[in-house]
Amino acid sequence: MRSRFVLAALAVALPLTGAAARELRVGYSADIVTLDPANHRSRVTEGVIHNMYDAVLTRTVDMKVVPEIAQSFRQIDATTYEMRLRPGIKFHDGSPLGVEDVKFTFDRLTKDGAMEGKTSPRKSLVGPLAETEIVDRLTVRFKLSAPWPVFPAYLPFNQVVSKAYVEKVGSDGMATRPMGNGPFRLVEWRKGDSVILERFPDYYGGASDIPPVGPARIDRVIFKIIPEPASRVAALLAGEVDLVDELPHHAIKQVEANPRTKVLKSNGTRSFFIDFNTTKPPFDKVKVRQAANHAVDRKLVIDKILNGLAVPLTTLISPDSFGYNPNLEPWRYDPALAKKLLAEAGYPNGVDVTLDVDNPFKEQAEAVAAMLTQVGIRTKVQLWERTALTELWKDPSKHDRNMNFRSWGDGALDPVGIFVPVLKTKDRGNFSGYSNAEVDRLLTAADTEPDQAKRSEYYQKAQAIIREEAPLLFLWLPQDVYGASRRLVDWEPSPRGIIKLHRAALAD
Amino acid sequence: MRPSALLERLLQLVPVLLGIALVVFLMMQATPGDPVELMLGDALATPEQREALRRDMGLDRPLPERFLHFLGNAATLDFGQSFHHRRPVADVILERLPATIELTLAAMAIAIAVGVPLGVVAAVRRDGWIDRLATILGLAGVSMPGFWLGILLILLFSVQLGWLPVSGRIGFGAEVPPVTGLLLVDTLLAGRPASFLEALRHLLLPAVTLGLAMAALLMRVTRTSMLEALRQDYVTFATAKGLPRRRVLIRHALRNALTPTVTVAAIETGTLLGGNMIVETVFGWPGLGRLVVEGIFTRNYPLVQAAVLLYAVTYVLLNLLADVLQTVLNPKVRL
Repeated sequence: MRSRFVLAALAVALPLTGAAARELRVGYSADIVTLDPANHRSRVTEGVIHNMYDAVLTRTVDMKVVPEIAQSFRQIDATTYEMRLRPGIKFHDGSPLGVEDVKFTFDRLTKDGAMEGKTSPRKSLVGPLAETEIVDRLTVRFKLSAPWPVFPAYLPFNQVVSKAYVEKVGSDGMATRPMGNGPFRLVEWRKGDSVILERFPDYYGGASDIPPVGPARIDRVIFKIIPEPASRVAALLAGEVDLVDELPHHAIKQVEANPRTKVLKSNGTRSFFIDFNTTKPPFDKVKVRQAANHAVDRKLVIDKILNGLAVPLTTLISPDSFGYNPNLEPWRYDPALAKKLLAEAGYPNGVDVTLDVDNPFKEQAEAVAAMLTQVGIRTKVQLWERTALTELWKDPSKHDRNMNFRSWGDGALDPVGIFVPVLKTKDRGNFSGYSNAEVDRLLTAADTEPDQAKRSEYYQKAQAIIREEAPLLFLWLPQDVYGASRRLVDWEPSPRGIIKLHRAALAD
Repeated sequence: MRPSALLERLLQLVPVLLGIALVVFLMMQATPGDPVELMLGDALATPEQREALRRDMGLDRPLPERFLHFLGNAATLDFGQSFHHRRPVADVILERLPATIELTLAAMAIAIAVGVPLGVVAAVRRDGWIDRLATILGLAGVSMPGFWLGILLILLFSVQLGWLPVSGRIGFGAEVPPVTGLLLVDTLLAGRPASFLEALRHLLLPAVTLGLAMAALLMRVTRTSMLEALRQDYVTFATAKGLPRRRVLIRHALRNALTPTVTVAAIETGTLLGGNMIVETVFGWPGLGRLVVEGIFTRNYPLVQAAVLLYAVTYVLLNLLADVLQTVLNPKVRL
């Protein structure tokens, strides 16, 4: 009886084992919204698109910007850049990729109403790019209306499309039937379920600075959307997928212990911090803010709550970022000093404050609150929905809340994408109400400074001021954690957070 | 049922839908959060970019104009563009609907097949061991959270035993020409029994997870109304007439007892058709629930409005269906 049951179960289970030899499956945590590179603002979507489309420039694993479909790329003057196209690149339909396609791609991104009357939501990601000019058969010039030194750093975000194809199928067609130039081409997009890609045999090989150069080494790639972390882990352990993103911390030991799977990590690009409302007491006083920064044992929270998977921050800039100042003294955990600073600021008996947070970060916020309370900054944690919190904190002079636990992501790893919005006076992400004329001056100068060494110097100076004035409670930068099958080789994660599988291979 | 009664019920839909459209529209507006900011996130965006997006989304117009525009277009089944997908909302929803319908029908089939017989047996053998067991199972089924049961089933059947897949609707190799969108039907229409089996294996765990909770509910409702029916005079009379026990139970008692069960089943089907975010998330099932919940979080107004209207229509129609079924079960009931 029992054996009959097992036999029946086996018969039902059989079709599972017929998988193709070199098929790589990715358990992906979030749903993608489109396959048109110019029509979204979603990083998870971009991650899938990168396997189908290449850009003018790309980044190495250690975040260096290098040419991708460009053979060379140079800056001519403060507002002009020139690329030379690598000859012989083909689109998935076999047509050659020419300079007209490059121009069309950037016109579609920058011109208002270029997408059937609508404007690309990625327009800001090419900065003040005004004109894209064809110089000759292989040369394109990018003319900016104002200096924007991070132009090359943002080019990897924008992939090149085929002019003829977009004109044929329109933006609606591009959303669901993409036709790219990347290492893989689309087989089928099952909405909400999976994206199935196959190797493009005529691929030109990818960035010549990132070996090995050549067509993809696997035949098929499948991005399978599995939003629930526990199910993603289960799929990895069951051998249904070979790579998962956003591996939950509690599963790390289990994945490491399994002989068939391994854990991969990389620094992320999202800094965590707490806004002080610097427009109102008690956090209008620098010493109270410094006291709070000395009251938090970052290492303890990282070890106990974040499983050691984060680096403590001295300001809000990642150590991997351009312009990072390595000479600033990290915040020392020193409750006695914190109490002393608090007393000097006029709060010898402590002070009662609120800390706002949304549900996913409740535990971390409570740990921080407990430490603040120990030195006399008696902190009450309140839970909100993130969107409501953002709305509330937009203008700190209009509310009486004291602290806001949040994060800011910066995929380009350049202070222009994090320092400026969060700490420049009245900028879009400045919720602390912080305003310092010297910091503003340095950030504005860096915005247009063509000399990268000088730019870096401006940012480093600005960080030194921020370290002293502590407008935020600087916390940590978590790592991105992936789980992978041991079969997966030649793929490592990078701070970009993008799973590009062109060079990945499967052992055995 | 009289055709005029049916027409009357359908006409009642109009004010219901108008009211719901207005309430949902206002609720979405009143919810804090700017769709433009939510879409742009932290990455670079100039004020001009924000304005362009706001225009593209139609958010630069006054509120009453936007509502009337939405109503006018909805009358022609045009629900506008999804903010994030930047494609027509109707397309985005229709892509997800078949998966939800398939899962709902499978879960309801399991619920009825398990819940109703168990409820009947529990009532007939009241206080016997089956009744006690059913009561315990019923309590467990209703109170067990879906994500917990789902994960347990995955750990047992997918990870430990390796019998069933963790997630998805069908294998990646299968190519099934879409006809109805229901894979169990389409695979058979295409004459591919292997793919049919594969789709069935994928459907099994999510359907059981959803179906068991529903079975518990139907069991409890059936048991209660069956106990009530068994106390009625007509059952005593039928037994006294010397009719066989089985016939008394099925023809006389059960038929009357089923009335509340049918209503509950119809309403629950309506709920299931809204998509079950939790079960869809656990099993990576590409249904409507996840899409709509994401839409709420990202303040994707057009998507949420269209989905809620769809839910309203589904609910009203299923209630109507329940009423029609009542008239079949009990000729005394008239609409």
